[in-house]
Amino acid sequence: MGKPKAKVDDKICLACGGCISLCPHDALSMLGGRAFVAEDKCLSCAICIRTCPVGAISGEVYK
Amino acid sequence: MKYDVVVVGSGPAGTVTARFAAESGAKVLIVERRAEVGVPVLCGEGISQKIDDWGMLEGKRWIANKMEGARIYSPDGTMVRLSADMAGNETGYVVYRDIFDKELARMAVKAGTEIMMKTEVTGLLKENEIITGVKANQFNEEIDIEADIVVGADGVESKIGQWAGIDTLLKPHDLETCAQYTLTNIECDKEYCDFYLGEEIAPGGYAWVFPKGKDVANVGIGILASLSESGMALKLLDKFIGSHPELKKGEPVRLLAGAVPVAQPVETVKDHLLLVGDAARHADPITGGGLTTSLEGGKIAGETIGKAVNEQKFDNEILGSYETGWKEAFGKKLRRNYLVKEILLGFEDKTLNLLADSLKDYKFEEFSTFSIVKALVLKHPTLLMKLKPLMKISVEK
Ligand SMILES: Cc1cc2nc3c(=O)[nH]c(=O)nc-3n(C[C@H](O)[C@H](O)[C@H](O)COP(=O)(O)OP(=O)(O)OC[C@H]3O[C@@H](n4cnc5c(N)ncnc54)[C@H](O)[C@@H]3O)c2cc1C
Repeated sequence: MGKPKAKVDDKICLACGGCISLCPHDALSMLGGRAFVAEDKCLSCAICIRTCPVGAISGEVYK
Repeated sequence: MKYDVVVVGSGPAGTVTARFAAESGAKVLIVERRAEVGVPVLCGEGISQKIDDWGMLEGKRWIANKMEGARIYSPDGTMVRLSADMAGNETGYVVYRDIFDKELARMAVKAGTEIMMKTEVTGLLKENEIITGVKANQFNEEIDIEADIVVGADGVESKIGQWAGIDTLLKPHDLETCAQYTLTNIECDKEYCDFYLGEEIAPGGYAWVFPKGKDVANVGIGILASLSESGMALKLLDKFIGSHPELKKGEPVRLLAGAVPVAQPVETVKDHLLLVGDAARHADPITGGGLTTSLEGGKIAGETIGKAVNEQKFDNEILGSYETGWKEAFGKKLRRNYLVKEILLGFEDKTLNLLADSLKDYKFEEFSTFSIVKALVLKHPTLLMKLKPLMKISVEK
């Protein structure tokens, strides 16, 4: 437990929505024109981190 | 507020659905989260010339460039040339998507559709489990919009389907993650859309150069999300441009990130609800092109809705003719191309090079499975085994 949650860097995100379509835990949505992670839903699976085309999502959760 | 139909999303699938529903007499509202229809553009902007026959767009202002065909470059640089009618969904025109989308919106409005901008749909309205409209947020105010039919035209990040109990979740294996620059002051051959294949160039996808003129082009890349690492699409795009002097001399005037479903289509109809376009996972699994199916599917959806509204019946049974309709129009092709995608993903660079070498001098005017196979067998007989599953699919059709 206590793994870091995914976090979107607003300054990098270009709002393509890819992460939202892939999140198996429905933790991502578009908010104010950027992707947003609902921390209570995020299970740190890192799919969004790996697949972000511009590297806007971090969390140091994947090896 | 009460409408016959509320369409979520003002992309091509949404506006075309709205137009044909409104033309058959329905009272239609489009709800769009953004502040401008068609902006930002998240697209390579290539589309087939077959849209000429559909009469869905007037004038020519939305056309940037008309293409002669496509050129596909294998990993070792061998080029195969296809004429426009052979090249499928993504060549024909390169368009200005912002103008294209606004022209489709104009046609919808002409038919009587209303549009609400800067309004985000946040959930479905339900009464006794029956969908009765959508909840939305407009300038920070919660509003309820009642409608007999809700259309999810909310693109790749669609939530509408999920809220209605349809499984629209994509696996990384079924999504292309993309980045694209519009580069200006470059040199390109404005007659051709170019596609570049290779594990090093774009794992599980391709890089593209779609010219909007002789010195401007959309230069982008899509990689399979399951093969991606953080930020990889943009890094590979920069590398691709760096290795092409004719592109490297330009500068970007636009940068976008994007995502394209290359999946099998989902269930698209529930009582009181339809999914269209990318929300329905209707993009072509091989090329990622989703514009033509958005238009075709949107028209079928709109006409179905027109009938439903006239009969005042909104159940799965009457709306189901939309699903039957799109399956007839392009369902088979999507299914087949999904299988082809799976096979192509298994091809190594070596195989792609041999394939290109066999086809490079092939005259595609006489396009038939038989003559292609003949060309392959003559040149590289070992290819035949690798292509067997592909030929099986093309014969089954
Ligand atoms: C990089 C890239 C290149 C591409 N290149 C091509 C190409 O060359 N040729 C081609 O044919 N296709 C291409 N595609 C695919 C094509 O862009 C899509 O298939 C097409 O845009 C789908 O149209 P749509 O109407 O379904 O969705 P979209 O055009 O994505 O429209 C969805 C709309 O819904 C709105 N929305 C979403 N959620 C909400 C909400 N909750 N409330 C209100 N509004 C909402 C969005 O703001 C958006 O305006 C490309 C895609 C990408 C990402």
